[in-house]
Amino acid sequence: MKLRSFTALLLILTMALGLTALAADFDAKQVITVVSREEGSGTRGAFVELTGVQAKDASGEEKDNTYSEAIISNGTNLVLTTVADNQAAIGYASLSSVLHNDTVKALKVEGIEASTENILNGTYKIARPFNVVTKGELTDELAKDFMAYVMSKEGQAIVTEDGLVSSANDQTPSYAAANKSGSLTVGGSTSVAPVMELLAEGYMELNPEAKIEVQSTGSSAGVTGALDGTYDIGMASRTLKDSETEKGALATVIGTDGIAIVTNLANPVEDITVEQVRQVFTGEVTTWEALNK
Amino acid sequence: MRGLFLASACVCIFAVGVICYFLFANGLPFFAKYSAWDFITGTEWAPLRGIYGILPMIVGSFLVTFGALLLGAPIGVLTAILMARFASSRVVRVMKPAVALLAGIPSVVYGFFGLKLLVPFTRNMLGGNGLSMFVASILLAIMILPTIIQTSEAAINAVPNSYYEGSLAMGATHESSVFRAIVPAAKSGIVSGIVLGIGRAIGETTAILMVAGNQARMPTGILAGVRTLTVNVLLEMGYAADVHRESLIATGVVLFIIVMAINFIFSFINRRRVVQ
Repeated sequence: MKLRSFTALLLILTMALGLTALAADFDAKQVITVVSREEGSGTRGAFVELTGVQAKDASGEEKDNTYSEAIISNGTNLVLTTVADNQAAIGYASLSSVLHNDTVKALKVEGIEASTENILNGTYKIARPFNVVTKGELTDELAKDFMAYVMSKEGQAIVTEDGLVSSANDQTPSYAAANKSGSLTVGGSTSVAPVMELLAEGYMELNPEAKIEVQSTGSSAGVTGALDGTYDIGMASRTLKDSETEKGALATVIGTDGIAIVTNLANPVEDITVEQVRQVFTGEVTTWEALNK
Repeated sequence: MRGLFLASACVCIFAVGVICYFLFANGLPFFAKYSAWDFITGTEWAPLRGIYGILPMIVGSFLVTFGALLLGAPIGVLTAILMARFASSRVVRVMKPAVALLAGIPSVVYGFFGLKLLVPFTRNMLGGNGLSMFVASILLAIMILPTIIQTSEAAINAVPNSYYEGSLAMGATHESSVFRAIVPAAKSGIVSGIVLGIGRAIGETTAILMVAGNQARMPTGILAGVRTLTVNVLLEMGYAADVHRESLIATGVVLFIIVMAINFIFSFINRRRVVQ
């Protein structure tokens, strides 16, 4: 029995592999598999706003028109895996997570390559801010010093290295270690967390007595945490909601992230316009063939 | 010593109590803001616009679970019968740990297996994009197998051997003795195995999230995607704020009530059988 089921499994495996190999030529008649993020995700919020997938409806209310057949993945990695495994797929993810990933292809938008330089010079259209969130002005000495580090020449160098676009210039001050001690909890957006971890490491190297913990939970959890004191500093990869600023949340931009439009490596499409992105993600265009007309 | 036992039991009861309290205390306020009827019968889910209809997820949960049962229940029960009454002890020695191992595989590993193997296979063989109700059901069927097999096998083994011997003595074959005398006697145990399987299937989240496509609209076909109640909660919890967050906890309340209802119906059926 066991041997038989093992053989069956092996057979399925071989067939699946064989079929993948057979289908290696890209078929433009394929229905596009649209891969999106869940409602409430910072990346989705930024994406639908920047591409016009979200638009005012007849009653003047903002409406997210993401195609109802779009696959919903709840994380950057799941989006990338899904796109890497499916020739007909298109998805989006923050540029920093795509730069070092060679399993998918980032498309040019309006002929502009998705790169750090192009976000800095403002030519790449799809970009969003990475915020740290505090409840009013910071009072804790360690938190203040950490923020000074994040916004300093050294901190912004780390931000830039991670693929984000920094607003730092020649006037940005250097950071002088003040040998602070104590502990801080920073939590929130899963998009901001990786760069925050690098920043925390850099800070702890200069201030060995300090301990900074970075928790990756989500933008809204980051804002809520900063407001109720769970986190000393929150992280959000979107602009704050009115309900959040009313409660005293204060946001500081530490860098700007581009959103890359990604497709399968086998897909011959190299360039896409913002309007085409909107058509694909609202389901107005459903095949690759129709998109290229 | 008795105090220790009592304390241990209290931890369990306390945990159930706290979870119930948390769920209802956090979920019920939502219904003050949004009609429970609209919540359960609404077919549109657009939390950022304040529209919360979870009927697609309720239907999705039931369909995926039903598909899993359709596939998993016969395979599981027949495997249990094989292990208890047909297979040689050598085969059983291999199968028992294999089934136990199946039960011990973490659900994210099942999800990855589905995503990397079943999804491309379905896409290439049957069409669609592969992330579908079909794959979710197959995956769940495999996941509930150990529950069904282990419970059913225990039930079949618990039937006194005299049933079997009596049947043989009256001239029945081995097969008909097993299927006409032993299996009916073990019916309530087998049914409880299947109900436990339903519980596991309806509550499974991570693996389903990875293979089901998760579209929040009414299910449109077996090869199209589907979103279940559990997936709805896990998918959006990380980024949800305000009423959106409460709506997800309310989704949990609905799921909790459904699972309780299944358990009550099951224990009602069981009790009636005992009375008979």
